[in-house]
Amino acid sequence: MIGLDFFVDQYGIFLSVIFIFIGLMSLIYGLATNREKGHRLEFYIMLFLIVGSGVGVALSYNLLLMYILWEISTFAVWRAVAYYRGDGEISASTLTFLVNFAAATLMLIGFSILYLDNGTFNLTEIIVINDTAAILILIGILTKSVTIPLHIWLAPAYNAIPSAIGASLAGIAENLGAILFLRLFTMGNYGAPGFFNTVAWIAIISSIIGGGVALRVNKLRSLLAFSTISQLGFVILAFAVGGTYGILGGVLYIAAHALAKSGLFYGVGVIEDATGEDDMRNVACLLRLSPVLAVSMAMLVGSIIGFFPMLGFFSKLTVVIGAVEKTAYFGIGAIVAAIFTLLYNARFYHELFFGERCDVYKLRAKRPSYTGVAVAFILAIVSLLLGIFFYQPVYYLTTGGL
Amino acid sequence: MNEIYYVIVAPIFFGLLGFLINRLRTEFDLVAFILTLWYAIRIFIATRTQIISYNVASIIGIDFRFYADSLAGFIVLFNAIFAILIWLYSLRAMSKAPRERAYYLYVALTLSAANGVVLSGNLIFLLLFWNVLVFSLYGMLQVGKVYSSPAARKAITIIGVSDYVMMLGIVIFLVRTGNLNFPLENTVLFTDVWLVVSYVMILAGVLAKLGTVPLHTWIPEASKVLPASTLAFIPGSLDKLLGFYLLMRISYHIFDITKYVPLQLTLMIIGSVTIIFMALMALLQKDAQRLLAFSTVSQAGYMVLGVGTGIPIAIAGALFHMLNNVFYKSALFLSTGSVDYRTKTTDLDSLGGLGVKMPYTLFTFVVAALALSGVPPLNGFYSKWMIYQGIIEMSGKIDIWFVFLICAMFGSILTLAYSLKLIHSIFLGERPKELSKVREARFEMVVPALVLALGCIAFGIFAQALPLRHLILPSLGYDIGEAGFWSPTLATVLIIVGIIVGVIVYLMGTAMKPRRTRVFVGGEIMEEEAARMTGPNFYSSVNSVEMLKKTYDFGEGGAFDFYNYLRGAAGGIAIVSRDVIDRIITSIYRIIGRIATIVGKLTSLLHTGELYTYVGWIFLGGIVILLILVF
Repeated sequence: MIGLDFFVDQYGIFLSVIFIFIGLMSLIYGLATNREKGHRLEFYIMLFLIVGSGVGVALSYNLLLMYILWEISTFAVWRAVAYYRGDGEISASTLTFLVNFAAATLMLIGFSILYLDNGTFNLTEIIVINDTAAILILIGILTKSVTIPLHIWLAPAYNAIPSAIGASLAGIAENLGAILFLRLFTMGNYGAPGFFNTVAWIAIISSIIGGGVALRVNKLRSLLAFSTISQLGFVILAFAVGGTYGILGGVLYIAAHALAKSGLFYGVGVIEDATGEDDMRNVACLLRLSPVLAVSMAMLVGSIIGFFPMLGFFSKLTVVIGAVEKTAYFGIGAIVAAIFTLLYNARFYHELFFGERCDVYKLRAKRPSYTGVAVAFILAIVSLLLGIFFYQPVYYLTTGGL
Repeated sequence: MNEIYYVIVAPIFFGLLGFLINRLRTEFDLVAFILTLWYAIRIFIATRTQIISYNVASIIGIDFRFYADSLAGFIVLFNAIFAILIWLYSLRAMSKAPRERAYYLYVALTLSAANGVVLSGNLIFLLLFWNVLVFSLYGMLQVGKVYSSPAARKAITIIGVSDYVMMLGIVIFLVRTGNLNFPLENTVLFTDVWLVVSYVMILAGVLAKLGTVPLHTWIPEASKVLPASTLAFIPGSLDKLLGFYLLMRISYHIFDITKYVPLQLTLMIIGSVTIIFMALMALLQKDAQRLLAFSTVSQAGYMVLGVGTGIPIAIAGALFHMLNNVFYKSALFLSTGSVDYRTKTTDLDSLGGLGVKMPYTLFTFVVAALALSGVPPLNGFYSKWMIYQGIIEMSGKIDIWFVFLICAMFGSILTLAYSLKLIHSIFLGERPKELSKVREARFEMVVPALVLALGCIAFGIFAQALPLRHLILPSLGYDIGEAGFWSPTLATVLIIVGIIVGVIVYLMGTAMKPRRTRVFVGGEIMEEEAARMTGPNFYSSVNSVEMLKKTYDFGEGGAFDFYNYLRGAAGGIAIVSRDVIDRIITSIYRIIGRIATIVGKLTSLLHTGELYTYVGWIFLGGIVILLILVF
């Protein structure tokens, strides 16, 4: 029924490498910035649990094992969100835990139904997928891979979590849902087309609404949270449309978004530490604070928007190809969501690094953390290199060879 | 053909070296541009006789292929020529500007990407390079004369959105034709409504690059804050070259719009509207750079109009006009930049009488301005003439051809008006006192503009022998014999039309009753400066024409601004998302939380702490279990 049922395929390996890399960056950033004496150990344990559970889910083929790792991830996120122990942090972490746990319980019921129908938890042997089970599992997936209307926990969690683990949450923990969707539904035997079309539309609408909210919010981390919602919509859309381009695009999109969003998280962390502000309206002209940070953030934002030399371009392109192959309306929806991505990212970058009148603005800030800037820069460079030499990961993901 | 690699890689490689090793920047940049020009010439010569096409790589069913035909060779050559002229000009004009280092990197990056766009043989490959241009544009727009960031944000929003639409158009097209490697030289027919939609979507990206209505608004905005060299380089020349290239590709190579008249009409209407409205806007401007920016947009209308006709002579005319426009508009921008370099202003109100002080600049400016307004024998006349010919040939195909002809000609009249206004305001008239010490601009700044102006003269006088025979017609693969035949009847008709339009303008306007202003001196000795009549003041009668005034107010108020509408729509959806949908969802969760709390409270009521309550519950529970077991 359960064992250490791990297997290796190109998607699992690729995502694991990305996850471990992001975890490593989190570790470096955490070592440099987290000088708190008290419960530092908890910080590292939770970081390792998030990375470990992410890699585990990417490589396992047993639903029950996946569920256990999933809950470990939820637990780690719960503790990490409450790391600073303030009232706001505690309530945010409680919300995170309750929503995720409730959804995961529904998902477990779905898994049980699958077990009763198929007599196994092995992903490769699951033939019959009951509609009820599919919907219950979908609730778990959409909660983990924050999709509106199950996104409620994300913005409080982002606002509470320390930047270093926040980057891992953004880069690793949220993708577990999408990975399960890929393994169970897209690559599996579930044959209800209405289901996939509905999921695709949910993803598109969630992406548009997330982008719309991101255009309005002013808190930096809330913006990152709704940006994540809008970007994960693309991933779910890609896996819902499936096909060669859909699967490839989704996996690439996870990688592009994980690298860019965790880089942005470090950048925002550096900015918050240097200026003591968490509201976009109170900071401007940060180009003067650190040009390297400005360049890195430009590249990371460019990757999320999807401009060419960054990895984000090719992943967005393949997602759109996959979507249009199903129907052109999906493509139109995806492009509307992408336009929102452009608008809120342009606003975010412009307000932070330039603003309206930089020639007269007085910037009050401490010296930014070198490590933080370096980590964001490394992530930007990795996104850039993967974007320029995109044929390498694409070739690997489609053929399994190097 | 390694040349193709070199024209793409050389600029960015040496540009990057120059960026990193600042001491040797000029040397590296020189190597970059000379190498690119050399290989561009070789590509140009090679593509006269053959088509270059080969695969770089293919993954997931997409071939990444280079492809160069004669049109591509032509565009690559002029990309390289303009880059080197702008670079030469910038050496002096941009020296000691803030972020000068990055500026040169962006110029090199733009050149690389532009060459990539032109040489790619697959629409997806093309899209890669097309995207790089957005990045370099954003960077370049940050290097302003004054603080230019809002303009950069506006530009990247407009260009980015239209690029997304273009990406979707390309993907829909490729998926519909079922061939992700659809070669640029094949043609499909409009058999499917989605193909028409995809053409229109790709057209959005192209028109944003060309800068026509309604996607032009970032250009005037940016012209207020950008240095002349950037304006001459991006909206002035490279964007026109690339936009025209892709417009030709999609309209006559990939699709064939002559098979579908509504699309032709769309193009021609966009072209005419652009010509008229933007020329009117230009006429009313008070700043030289901003005026030229509107003029650039207006001239793009002629290209779209010419391509829209589908008549070979007009298409050739449009390509010729594009080339001419790049010549004289760059010359105008650069001359204005020279004036700006010496006087530190481009405001027409504070300029005047500089002709004596800056004779070379005056020469280039006048030649370029007359070429712009289509005065024979300069090049602008010839290309416009070819476009008129094409529109007249349309007469058999669509009934309202004369509307387009009138628009084009009326636009030409307006162009002449604003050209004269520019010349008058900057170089003639009275000179303000503070400008008495102005000298001619630096040698490095005069030479590029002078080269361009001489090009205008040469291309005008020898239009048949030089550009048309050797550049334009071979690039398009057309053989239309004696292009632009002179028909006396037609010419007479056209002149009569011109006179009638002139009379209408005359009667409509306030030209009949000259504006008189009384000067009160109040007994004091009148200083010369107080009585100075500035250029815009001289032309301000135009602003008082009711219709023009309305247009101007609308335009300046942003009524024609696609950006404002986009932001408005997005803002509306954003408000709905955040303040309605998100709030409703949050309150649903809150209600669930409430219910949970209430249930908790209710159950806690049962925990009274008294023994007999618990015993009662135990009995009740036991009875229920018993009942379940029995039945």
